Amino acid sequence: MSAAPVLNPFSLFFASIFTSNILLANFLGMCSFISISKDGKSSNGLGFAVTVVLGITSAVNWAVLHFVLIPLQLEYLRYIVFIITIAATVQILEMIIDRVSQALYMSLGIFLPLITVNCAILGVSLFIDIRAYTFVQSVIYGVGSGLGWWLAIAALSAIRKKTDKSPVPAGLKGPGITMITIGFMAMAFMGFSGMLQVQ
Amino acid sequence: MVPFAYFTAPLAVGAISAALAALISVTDKIVNNYGDIDVAINDGKKELTIKGGQPLLFGLAEEGIFIPSACGGRGSCGTCKVQVSTDIGPVMPTELPFLEKKELEEGIRLSCQIKLKQPLSIAIPEELFNVRDYIGIVERINDVTHDIKEVYVKLPDDTDVTFVSGQYGQFEVPPYDKVKEATMRAYSMSSPPSDTKHLEFLIRLVPGGIVTTYVHTNLQEGQKIRVVGPFGDFYVRDTDMAMICVAGGSGMAPFKSIFQNRIDDGTINDRDIWYFFGARTKKDLFYLDWLYELDRTYERFHFIPALSEPQAEDEWDGPTGLITEVLGSYLQETIPTEQAKEGYLCGSPGMLDACMAVMQQHKMDPERIYFDKFA
Amino acid sequence: MKMSPEFTKAQQNMQPGVITSNGFLGDDHRNVVEIVEADEEHFAALGIDFDEIAERLRFLMNEGRKGLGEPITVSDRWIVTVYEARGHLASPFEDGVFRKVNAQIEWAPDGNASGKTILVSDLSLHLLEHYHFLQGRGSPFRLEPPDLKEVLAY
Repeated sequence: MSAAPVLNPFSLFFASIFTSNILLANFLGMCSFISISKDGKSSNGLGFAVTVVLGITSAVNWAVLHFVLIPLQLEYLRYIVFIITIAATVQILEMIIDRVSQALYMSLGIFLPLITVNCAILGVSLFIDIRAYTFVQSVIYGVGSGLGWWLAIAALSAIRKKTDKSPVPAGLKGPGITMITIGFMAMAFMGFSGMLQVQ
Repeated sequence: MVPFAYFTAPLAVGAISAALAALISVTDKIVNNYGDIDVAINDGKKELTIKGGQPLLFGLAEEGIFIPSACGGRGSCGTCKVQVSTDIGPVMPTELPFLEKKELEEGIRLSCQIKLKQPLSIAIPEELFNVRDYIGIVERINDVTHDIKEVYVKLPDDTDVTFVSGQYGQFEVPPYDKVKEATMRAYSMSSPPSDTKHLEFLIRLVPGGIVTTYVHTNLQEGQKIRVVGPFGDFYVRDTDMAMICVAGGSGMAPFKSIFQNRIDDGTINDRDIWYFFGARTKKDLFYLDWLYELDRTYERFHFIPALSEPQAEDEWDGPTGLITEVLGSYLQETIPTEQAKEGYLCGSPGMLDACMAVMQQHKMDPERIYFDKFA
Repeated sequence: MKMSPEFTKAQQNMQPGVITSNGFLGDDHRNVVEIVEADEEHFAALGIDFDEIAERLRFLMNEGRKGLGEPITVSDRWIVTVYEARGHLASPFEDGVFRKVNAQIEWAPDGNASGKTILVSDLSLHLLEHYHFLQGRGSPFRLEPPDLKEVLAY
């Protein structure tokens, strides 16, 4: 384990949103990204849910990693353990939201279980381990990645609203043009990576 | 290496899982414990305290208030509507398909989709207070025609059933032969409300029908039977207009109750009653002696049985033809046209539609035609 | 003949408790295709035709509706009673939804009831017409080819 990299929290925050966007730079969380982006309202709901869950699980998984796995030399179990904590976190979160706010529960309701199997969530926790972030860095990186994911899906759903009504060649309608769109978006985001690199 | 390294991995994973599971169940206990919830019904006419966290439908059922539900709380039938005046947040997507715009504005919700979380104020039809779940005993079964049985059910000793003549009950038969589950069907009560210890039903054999077949072949006197009720909004409106009643077959049931009730409370002669009863042959007619006697005794009660296909041996000299034809000719020739009338119909959907058409043809107000469609 | 996927799915839907609590197969242990083939052979041996039978049944059901729930004599040869119940039934072949309308048809030459009856529903008529499926032995709505021939007067 290397020492925590020295990083300006603001740089890390913006890097995780733009230059190292979890979706468009690391291509994680693709499945729900493509399927949910059909609808703008759902996209925002899912984007918000991902942000919240990322913020919490990055903190929880950092704690589990540093207080349990590393002392016991069980880092190789992180895949299993992270998944379990993510699932449990989502479960608890769902119960709390159900109790606290009916409106929020309804807008997130069906998305929360979807998130459990979203690879962006697991990916972020693993990056936190690989890049040896501190606790604060982890949370910043988690929330930032969530916002980045939200930004990307909101942008894609807006673009898809246009492409749905555009004269797309028959064979490219639907998933085809969506993939091409995502490619362009990824290239555009790559432009940011020259500004700032986070590893 | 840590000693017993082989065990640390499974132990650690197990411990983490257990800790998380414990955390979830503790959260569940805290978060989902709503305590007891106060529910006020119909402006506080009834106040209940119900265990929170469960759907309103089940909570009310625990307290003996049965909101009609066909799907058992799965949110797929849309019948368990109640009006909620407390603000309990937006309508669920699962409710939306069953609610019309007007209902949404009135705060109508599906009681199976609302979780009891906070004190509620709701409004339900008054008669649902009377709905009970009874285990009765079949006291007697009579054959009134070759295909209609009169089933007289004795209710538990401590009950006083309250219903309005014309309402129906749900009659449940147990699993039998290849039918794997208990099955319920609705039948109108033919007994009068004054008999608070019994309910009587007229059940006609429908070939292939699960409940009617059971009643006609398996049901025994002395047997326990489950009845839930009363339900329904088929009852006599309180006006002095002439009642034009039309029935066929077991459609006799609500009228038997209605007429007996009017005899019991002395109102039978307060307004004109025309009772048209349609059957095919004389062997399909029943309760004739009683009805003819009412016709003789009460000046304003008129009983008109009609046979559509009288047989030679019937020696029938009464009206002949489909009940709609007989009804039409009476409305045309016998019953004064200018007299205000209400229609009361009980029978098959085909008969109801045909009678509605005839009544409207004779200038009866469709708003004043009430009917009980066979279930 | 092998069961096509369509028939395999239909056979699952015909089990008790899926569409109706009795199911469509009664206590028949043959599969749907075997039942259909046996009945087709039986029809051929009796010299009757599915389309003609279906047409006659439909005619009788429509005439029977005029009885408004009571039995009615049709063409001086049949007594038909149509029963309507609330609700709908899906076809096991997933190709339509049918109202719960049953007709009991009794052969009654010159208006004299013979006691020989068949029971047909909107759904069983559809299954007969489109799939030559008369339901399994022991099903309440099983139509036996000789009964059809006898009651429908061929």
